[in-house]
Amino acid sequence: MNRRDILKTCSLFAVGSMFNLFKFEDALAVEGSYFKKYKKTLLVKEDGTPLKETDIQSNTALLFFYPYRSTPCYIINTGREVKPLDIKLNNGSVYRFTGGIGSKKGIVAYSAICPHQWSYPTKDFSLLNYYSSKEKSEITGKSGVIQCCAHISVFDPINGGSIVEGPAEFPLAAVSLVMEGGSIYATGIIGKDQFSEFFDLYKSDMIEQFGSLEKAKEEMDKTVVMEVEKHVKEQIKC
Amino acid sequence: MSKNRLSVNRRDLFLATASVVATGFLEQSVAGGISNYTESRSDKKAKVVVIGGGYGGITAAKYIKKQNPEVSVILIEKNPFFVSCPMSNHYLGGFYEFSELCFAYNNLTVKYGIEVINDRVQDIDLDKKVVITPNLRVFYDFLILSPGISYDINEEEKAFYKAYPPAFKPGGEHLYLKKLIEEFEGGDIVMTVPAYPYRCPPAPYERAAVILNYLKKRNLKAKLYFIDANERPIINAEGFMNAYYELYKGYAEYITGTYVKSIDHGKKIVKTTNGEFKFSLANVIPPMKASKIVEKIGLLEPGQKWVEVDTFTFETKIKDVYVIGDSARTFLPKSGFGAHMQGKIVANNITEKITGKKSKDELLMVLCYSMVSDEEAIMSETSFRIEKSSGKIIPTHREDNTRRKSTVKRYNEWAKGLWRDLFG
Repeated sequence: MNRRDILKTCSLFAVGSMFNLFKFEDALAVEGSYFKKYKKTLLVKEDGTPLKETDIQSNTALLFFYPYRSTPCYIINTGREVKPLDIKLNNGSVYRFTGGIGSKKGIVAYSAICPHQWSYPTKDFSLLNYYSSKEKSEITGKSGVIQCCAHISVFDPINGGSIVEGPAEFPLAAVSLVMEGGSIYATGIIGKDQFSEFFDLYKSDMIEQFGSLEKAKEEMDKTVVMEVEKHVKEQIKC
Repeated sequence: MSKNRLSVNRRDLFLATASVVATGFLEQSVAGGISNYTESRSDKKAKVVVIGGGYGGITAAKYIKKQNPEVSVILIEKNPFFVSCPMSNHYLGGFYEFSELCFAYNNLTVKYGIEVINDRVQDIDLDKKVVITPNLRVFYDFLILSPGISYDINEEEKAFYKAYPPAFKPGGEHLYLKKLIEEFEGGDIVMTVPAYPYRCPPAPYERAAVILNYLKKRNLKAKLYFIDANERPIINAEGFMNAYYELYKGYAEYITGTYVKSIDHGKKIVKTTNGEFKFSLANVIPPMKASKIVEKIGLLEPGQKWVEVDTFTFETKIKDVYVIGDSARTFLPKSGFGAHMQGKIVANNITEKITGKKSKDELLMVLCYSMVSDEEAIMSETSFRIEKSSGKIIPTHREDNTRRKSTVKRYNEWAKGLWRDLFG
């Protein structure tokens, strides 16, 4: 469904809503299936104070957990404006990536779970890593990308996490960020998230690490943003 | 190697196998002989039957069912549980437990509603569209054969290959070869590679490295005569050759362009086009061909080893009958990863036929990783671009021949990702 179709659908339901408001809300929920609102979470530094945009150096990725305490994300200062855009999925549906935030609109965040076969940064190592614009992947020759070295899936953080090359079926899911009074909040996930698969596939790991699946799925008021190497022993790039 | 995985010893494994076989027998008794598994052809639900529960068959079954929940998907597999051939050299080298290669088929039924039948296919009536097993007759609208390979050996050679299994079919062969390796006290090992194509291009070269690593670590007085019908390793040649010469000098002699002529099992001699080699331990990898079932049902042309299929859809000369994986002649190298990709393509193709909607194009690529010691690996990637104007397939091949510890981690994650896709 393209945007024009969505607008058509919305206007049809807008007429219908005069008679039945409930149905209109249902329709919005369907249209918004590629935006899922989660708990509004303040991004903080390791000392507990709010993260500011100046805390993220240009061409750098930092790691935090969102929307659950167990699901890693990268926040990246791309050093350039990241514009909103429509992303079309293989199944034909389209969703709106809202672009970057901050004074240069260059800060974006993505869920760090590879949508191909669900590799993610663990404490031991990470195969899904950010390559800055100054750094070139040996195998793909790409810069300024997020690349998974397990099966060479490459994603573009400037273009909403869309697929550059490789076997992934879906783009990386983006984290919806807002700035309020200089502080950064995560508010939801844009795109096809992988959380259902993640918790299904890594259930025993989650229980081992957090004590129970329920605890692994806890949402937070605040989430600590850290240098990737603080959480991951080895970033494996290729 | 993951230490926190449940370890199953060989005795446990055999007990588990016996109990599943017993269950199968019960079902057979209740059924009271051959029965029509899907009797009615009058309902409008399409029926897809997949033969072979390996990388290709599982992928095809799962993705068809995911894309078309209303379609009846039946997977027929002779083994009660899955054993991975990719990563089996890890087992032979002592880097993985056997149990780490094993997976249950249950989730395909529990999560996706695929009917998994543990039975052996005896015959297929392509006119009546029915698959025949000792216990069942299973009707289909679409048939996908993903039956793997058979060894191209004669009757007299079978005893030798029982004693010294090639271990290119996963399961018991690997268990027995591992036992032989563990019982080896020194002497000459003869390992041979057939001319390409065979299953998994880097596997023989990786296995040679893994065996050499074993000899070196145990400080055994031994020599590996590594006899290759090809002129050099057909993939990652630089990485393998460097490993053989830099890590295992004195332990190996690599003899290329040399074919096996015959084997004297009693005298323990492999006779080749380049002389005779006496062995204490042998791992002769024989030439391979398509699985016997495709030959039996006439999909294999006389004199051919592999089934001709459509380049892009893997459909055979028989409409709605597909062959994927190592039995098919395709531009993709024969491998678990290749079969997995083909499974996705066939799923898309059948979905298109069922729904009439054009499905997405699947990327065609193959990734191969190889251990060259117990702590270092190399890798290669081939992706295929289809030039629509000419219909040509243009491969792009990239290799990383530098031995790296980090590549071992990528290799593990490569396999675990595949297993997550198959069984998650």
